[in-house]
Amino acid sequence: MDKVPVRRVRRKASGSPSAAAALPAAPLDYRPTLLLGSVFVIATCGLIYELIAGTLASYLLGDSVLQFSTIIGAYLFAMGIGSWLSRYLGGSLLRWFIQLEILVGLVGGFSAPLLFLLFEHVSSFRLILYSLVGLTGILVGLEIPLLMRILENRFEFKDLVSRVFTFDYIGALLASLVFPLVLVPQLGLIRTSLLCGALNVVVAGIALYRFPETRPFRRSLGGALAASLLALAVTFGYAGQLQAYTEGLAFQDQVIYTKTTPYQRLVLTKNQRELRLFLNGNLQFSSADEYRYHEALVHPAMQALPKARRVLVLGGGDGLAVRELLKYPQLEHIDLVDLDPGMTRLFQQNQMLLELNQRALLNPKVRVTNADAYQWIRQDTSRYDCIIVDFPDPGNYSIGKLYSAAFYRALEQRLAPGGWAVVQSTSPYVARRSFWCVAHTLEAAGFTTLPYHAYVPSFGEWGFILAGRNSHWRPDAGPLPPGLRYVTPATIRDMRFFPPDMSEVPTEINQLNNQALVRYFEEDWGPYAH
Amino acid sequence: MGSAGLLLAPLAGLHSCAPGSRRSHIRGSMHGANHATGHLLRDPARLPDPTRTEAVEVLIVGGGVAGLTARRELERQGLQPGQVLLVELDEQPGGNSRAGHNGVSAYPWGAHYLPVPDPRNHELLAFLRDAGVITGTDAASDLPIYNEYYLCHDLEERLFIKGHWQNGLVPELGVPPAEKEQIARFFALIEELRQTVGTDGRDAFVIPLEASSQDEQFRRLDEQPFAAWLDEQGFTSPHLRWYFDYSCRDDYGATAAQVSAWAGLHYFAARKGRAHNANGADVLTWPAGNGFLVEQLRRQAQSSIRPDTVAFALHQTPTGLAVDCYDVATKQTTRVTARQVLMATPLFITERLLAGLPAAAHRPLPVHRVPWVVVNLTVEGLPQGPGQPLSWDNVLYGTDSVGYVDAGHQSLSQTDAGARVVTWYRPLSDASPEAARRQAYQTSYDEWVRQALAELETAHHGLTAQVLRADVWVWGHGMVAPTPGFLWGGARAAAARPWQNQLFFAHTDLSGISIFEEGFAQGQRAAREVQAARRPTPA
Ligand SMILES: Cc1cc2nc3c(=O)[nH]c(=O)nc-3n(C[C@H](O)[C@H](O)[C@H](O)COP(=O)(O)OP(=O)(O)OC[C@H]3O[C@@H](n4cnc5c(N)ncnc54)[C@H](O)[C@@H]3O)c2cc1C
Repeated sequence: MDKVPVRRVRRKASGSPSAAAALPAAPLDYRPTLLLGSVFVIATCGLIYELIAGTLASYLLGDSVLQFSTIIGAYLFAMGIGSWLSRYLGGSLLRWFIQLEILVGLVGGFSAPLLFLLFEHVSSFRLILYSLVGLTGILVGLEIPLLMRILENRFEFKDLVSRVFTFDYIGALLASLVFPLVLVPQLGLIRTSLLCGALNVVVAGIALYRFPETRPFRRSLGGALAASLLALAVTFGYAGQLQAYTEGLAFQDQVIYTKTTPYQRLVLTKNQRELRLFLNGNLQFSSADEYRYHEALVHPAMQALPKARRVLVLGGGDGLAVRELLKYPQLEHIDLVDLDPGMTRLFQQNQMLLELNQRALLNPKVRVTNADAYQWIRQDTSRYDCIIVDFPDPGNYSIGKLYSAAFYRALEQRLAPGGWAVVQSTSPYVARRSFWCVAHTLEAAGFTTLPYHAYVPSFGEWGFILAGRNSHWRPDAGPLPPGLRYVTPATIRDMRFFPPDMSEVPTEINQLNNQALVRYFEEDWGPYAH
Repeated sequence: MGSAGLLLAPLAGLHSCAPGSRRSHIRGSMHGANHATGHLLRDPARLPDPTRTEAVEVLIVGGGVAGLTARRELERQGLQPGQVLLVELDEQPGGNSRAGHNGVSAYPWGAHYLPVPDPRNHELLAFLRDAGVITGTDAASDLPIYNEYYLCHDLEERLFIKGHWQNGLVPELGVPPAEKEQIARFFALIEELRQTVGTDGRDAFVIPLEASSQDEQFRRLDEQPFAAWLDEQGFTSPHLRWYFDYSCRDDYGATAAQVSAWAGLHYFAARKGRAHNANGADVLTWPAGNGFLVEQLRRQAQSSIRPDTVAFALHQTPTGLAVDCYDVATKQTTRVTARQVLMATPLFITERLLAGLPAAAHRPLPVHRVPWVVVNLTVEGLPQGPGQPLSWDNVLYGTDSVGYVDAGHQSLSQTDAGARVVTWYRPLSDASPEAARRQAYQTSYDEWVRQALAELETAHHGLTAQVLRADVWVWGHGMVAPTPGFLWGGARAAAARPWQNQLFFAHTDLSGISIFEEGFAQGQRAAREVQAARRPTPA
């Protein structure tokens, strides 16, 4: 996350400090000093809220320069509004000040947890972000003018102005140093925000119990104060869980597209180097190395089928496998079946993605069908020379059915004699039993299998299984298309070799009525989930 | 969900829940309680005299599992489709195994599964083969291979106990070690009983129950209540006792105190299913439940089925029997003469229909029949609690119901999160059957829905708001419960015996245990008896 240096300018209060000479303060009155001390705390916290909002905005929305400058602009402008509004506050100023501090503590304190939580669930996140920034700004903008009015009779005007602003700017310096160096690394954004909130409430508490003129409303405000402090403290205690929950939702890079379809949540992020697609928070591909995955998925099967005419792709709505297939000019027809129209439409329309998949899904040879793959292969009656099965990992019981022996038997009905199917089969390194369970299940369904694996930096070691019936396969059966960056006959030969830490292990067969694979998968990947 | 609109469209004639309640948006149908057609039988004298006559060789009265099985078997034994007629009171056959459907899914109204059968049950296996439920035989083991789409998919059962869904229905979560030890002892005993063979060489417990050993040491168990036997054996664990009550209510509609020890043990020890790709603990199920099997039975024969037709009186004629059948649609009565009549109706109905025949034809067998209420809930989603995800059979510990099944469980689609139908079952076993029946008939649609939701909300907070529709069926006469003495007391066997080569009987009431296999066995037996009566006896 890039940070943009922030220059802080605190608008002058627009109140009308009296120029009249102040009465000399009683020698033992420490209370003005206390109030000046609170200027320091208030200033530090106020800047931290601003930094939190800016950081969060660039963290969640990307484009840090733009986010930081607009957040700061909005915040300062809101402070101006606050300063201006302060003129309307009359009566017991101390009471106003205490109430204000409690409110700043709550609004500022809960700002980070709230923004994190809401990000994934609201459609107009920006509106909420700027409303919250505006509200905090207004409240913080009220603080200093109000304090100056409280202190106006205790100091001479020139002293007052010089002292208040000295503390204000020192607080700002402190904030800009501890925020990036101590608070964020040690506490994280959520705890930092809650801690500052608590400090504001503590300032309110000191004012409430140190000034005799607060007696009449000590009771009522004391209750609110205690409740606010408690709420902040409890949330602080649960910050760990909150963080874990929200972190899963947030992404490192700039989010350039999000869509929640009836089937999944699509999130596309971008940085200088790569585009990444996340489905339900799981990385689907990175444009930096997806070619390794898709070349490994497609070419070992296709090079063995120089006469292939018809291909079926199940899953793979990103069109990247189809892009590889289109490198074989002899192909006449490619059927792509993907559940989610939101996904295939994205890869047929978005300019960056069209560049990535080379407009594969718009090619006239390609027919895109949005359907449930299982239903579809049971209803379809045609045969394919090659079938590419690129489903999500078997992480739940309904996807587990797409890896069952029954599914593979149905798949076999769609495979032309001598043809090959290839199945993406999770990581043989991380999920060794899962990988071999897919292989054994394919064998139980009557296929001959050829397992292999490739290294894809974004994913690690990834596994695939070729499945054929009376089919012949050689790593150099036919010519590979020109221009491949990963797959060569030598790579294919290497991919077939399994070192001891990934070699075959005995497993159950994945049946609809035992869902053995989902269980292996949960156990294998369990230690990797955070 | 686009289907929601479709579902809610035909609101006319539907019941609705109490306005102002949290259920006020819920609508649906209610069946059974005021079943006009069934009530015609109360007062047959008010039905019109026959205006037409018709002659068939064999008339089957009742299109439940037993009647449909007999129809199929008679054709298999050589009767021509034109020689057999089946009359069914309802608008479609199936009886307790019938199914319904809406825009979201098919769903069961009663029976919803068949355990993988004992491979020695050859007749049942032949039917399942014809139905495509068995797809082949494994050459090495000679065991049947079942269609995987029909074997219940994994995540079969779960139990909501102590605020958590555990795997399986035998309580485990928070069960003290001493109770766990009893549970283990019980299942060890069952394993032994499953293997036990009587002095006559027959299995102690087997399905269909007629094939069980006649050995006194086992049959004696029929004389005492299951609960008393459990006390004697020291099975006192509260969790285990809950499980027995649940099991007995699930299969018989009655508690462990109401059924006999033989029946209670039969439930556990008689399932001896074996298959190449499944075992005795596995079950076969379909979105429509056993409505699927009913449909297969229907398709495997050609002879006519006349729905909406109530048989209401039998008479003797010089050549056989005549049965007066009232057509609900045309409001006319036809007198059907037949050489053989097969009564595939519940015994309390059979008794009424036979009123005009000599005393020897009567079947005065008192049957303990427990009413059931079934609520089919079509929901937009099912908010889940902690623990095992939604499974096929979902039971809530310590509740009045026996839980619910998910009609969408066998679905192969990935769109699982959406709308689905769940079928909630509750046997009314707390009062005497008569009192429970009277009470049930007086209970309103809203009250049944309220009770079902009140219970389900404990495990699925917020479910009420997600209900698109609720359909209720009150099975006033539900099914037979094997009370002590009923199974092996002798009266049951006598009641099943044909009368004068003219009148035959097939119904699960005559088994004492109401499950598909018994209905099927009843139909097979009765069809064989009809055939034997029709064949000229060798002089
Ligand atoms: C709620 C419920 C759940 C069940 N769940 C299961 C289960 O999961 N698995 C299982 O194996 N079993 C289950 N059963 C047991 C079920 O009863 C049997 O499986 C089977 O359906 C019984 O068939 P049957 O032919 O013996 O009787 P019935 O189903 O009673 O059939 C009798 C038929 O006769 C018709 N009839 C009655 N009177 C007349 C007349 N006068 N004229 C014409 N027709 C008439 C009826 O309409 C009916 O169709 C369940 C039962 C109930 C009530």
